[in-house]
Amino acid sequence: MEETVIVAHKIFKAFGEGETEIQALRNVDLDIKRGDFAAIVGPSGSGKTTLLNILCGLDNVSSGEIKVSGRSLQEMSGSELAQFRREHIGLVFQAYNLIPVLTVLENIEYVMLLQHVPAAERKERVHTFLAELGLEGKENRFPAELSGGQQQRVAIARAMVSKPDIILADEPTANLDSETGGQLLEMMRKFNEELKMTFVFSTHDPQIMERAKRLITLTDGRIVSDELK
Amino acid sequence: MLLKLAWRNLWRNRTRTWLSTLVIAIGLVAMIFMDTMMVGMNTNMVKNATDSLMGHAQMHALGFRDEQDVKLTINDLDQALLQLEKHPDLKARSLRIVTQSMLTSSGGGEPVLSLGVDPEEEQLLSKFDEAIIEGEYLDSVSGQKLILGWKLAEKLELGLGDRLVLTAADAESGEMVQELFRLSGIFKTGEEKMDASMVLVARKTLQSMLKLEGRIHQIALRYSKLTQDGTPVNPLKKPDDSSKNELLLWTELMPSLYMISQMTDLSMAIMGTILFLIIALGITNTLLMGLYERMFEFGVIKSIGTTPWQAARIMFFEAVCLGFVSIIVGLILALFVTALFANYGIDYIGIEFSGVTFQEKIYPSYKWSRLVLYPFMSLGFTLLASLYPAFKLWKMLPVEALRKRKF
Ligand SMILES: Nc1ncnc2c1ncn2[C@@H]1O[C@H](COP(=O)(O)OP(=O)(O)OP(=O)(O)O)[C@@H](O)[C@H]1O
Ligand SMILES: [Mg+2]
Repeated sequence: MEETVIVAHKIFKAFGEGETEIQALRNVDLDIKRGDFAAIVGPSGSGKTTLLNILCGLDNVSSGEIKVSGRSLQEMSGSELAQFRREHIGLVFQAYNLIPVLTVLENIEYVMLLQHVPAAERKERVHTFLAELGLEGKENRFPAELSGGQQQRVAIARAMVSKPDIILADEPTANLDSETGGQLLEMMRKFNEELKMTFVFSTHDPQIMERAKRLITLTDGRIVSDELK
Repeated sequence: MLLKLAWRNLWRNRTRTWLSTLVIAIGLVAMIFMDTMMVGMNTNMVKNATDSLMGHAQMHALGFRDEQDVKLTINDLDQALLQLEKHPDLKARSLRIVTQSMLTSSGGGEPVLSLGVDPEEEQLLSKFDEAIIEGEYLDSVSGQKLILGWKLAEKLELGLGDRLVLTAADAESGEMVQELFRLSGIFKTGEEKMDASMVLVARKTLQSMLKLEGRIHQIALRYSKLTQDGTPVNPLKKPDDSSKNELLLWTELMPSLYMISQMTDLSMAIMGTILFLIIALGITNTLLMGLYERMFEFGVIKSIGTTPWQAARIMFFEAVCLGFVSIIVGLILALFVTALFANYGIDYIGIEFSGVTFQEKIYPSYKWSRLVLYPFMSLGFTLLASLYPAFKLWKMLPVEALRKRKF
């Protein structure tokens, strides 16, 4: 019954060559199921960012295979990958997710415009999420006029509106204080429960880890534990 | 959306954008201004040449221009004149006798070119009437009055009323014939050749002296409708060879003058290209700076689903916006500057350039085609300038850009 969104098989990733070669990922096997709310944890340099980049095709693997929504990422060109991400993957980074010259509304609309979503539907989707995220009335603000937590919420809205199969977030709460971070995670959790949106995020914060439904621990580029709670 | 993004990006660093705008605009102004000056100068030179004696076109018997043979008069003059009458664009014509001759006075002799004219006709073709500085212009198509240039007058130490003798070969036997004239006026055209070695007398008198009654060497023509180059819009058809006459436009009578105007076009094109290339390099630099500053941002833009080509388009759009703003600023500035000079003109009076002396101030003059061409050129070069930054953005890997984050 459970549907798999991402399958990663025997992933190796090395940076550099020869003497300076760094093995960032070693033999990583990973399945992400629809509805997962998974945290990737591990010490700094353990390969969290590298893994997330690879899962969305931003970075390529040294060896191994990745399938997202049934499609193999290795075979796609840069332009195909961009379009694939646009349709299937929502991305949230640690900070500065938003395009500074676009308003909140325009930032959220951006991907939908690339997807050619009709105007009426765009409007509707934007307003639903703004309401859900407690950002009503802020649609015409520029990112610089929002707090860090608000910016991250807008980033999540942007990732959500395009109706992707999965949202990947690299330390989305790292630049927030723990209270705001907690609220942000609550929000993600709510979307996970109510809309069955799949989330994979990395974090350092034990409080955040606690709220994950699945905990994937990386050490030195290996998955050392993968537990469901 | 991408356009909006580009437009707003452009105004993020206002100082830089205004500086770039200014550079492009000034380039455009320089081009337009130089061009209008060149066109103005050409117009001026052409007008000078065609207004002072030559006219816009001339008719001669075949061979007359080369041989200057007094016997070579226009063939079938009546027929030729009939043709001229019929042409609607013909404003004026002057029938002339032209002959090499010797002018002698008590003070000595000088070889001169004698022109026999009808003073009324000639007024509309040349400016001797306005150039009189002493005495008066000719007043009749016959009679013994003679006018000449101030340099010649000085050389021969002549004063008004002096008796002068013209000596020339007649058309029948080629024998030397002489005629007595009286100096009635002295002109100063500013043209060395005319002022130093040309005399004007009544046409009928010269005709009978040379035994050329009813015959004509040269018909100078003025057209009413001219192109901006100064060539007639609607010139007379050339007579065919059987007529033994030739009808030449000033472009053929004075090919060097025509070539100058063609060459200035070419040199403008070269200068323009160089100027715009330099500007383009500056723009490239500006765009690249903007690109490096916004690396992380473009990383985000590309990771959330903007294709490489769409990303490159953002850069193109930025360039186009920059180009447009600059062109508008440039055109306004250019109109202002040229209008300013169009009012005052630039004083080159008396300076000789390739055989033509400027008689009037130079006023910048537009060629409308150029006013369209140069803005398009600046836009084209701005786009060219964005090619490399756009390519950089196109191939930039989002992961690498994302690593540029400065938290
Ligand atoms: N572009 C790169 N070139 C060389 N080495 C790299 C590159 N990117 C990452 N690495 C190395 O790969 C390893 C894993 O890095 P990664 O950024 O994935 O760790 P992380 O778990 O996200 O760490 P952090 O918690 O500090 O974000 C590190 O040793 C890092 O130095
Ligand atoms: Mg990381």
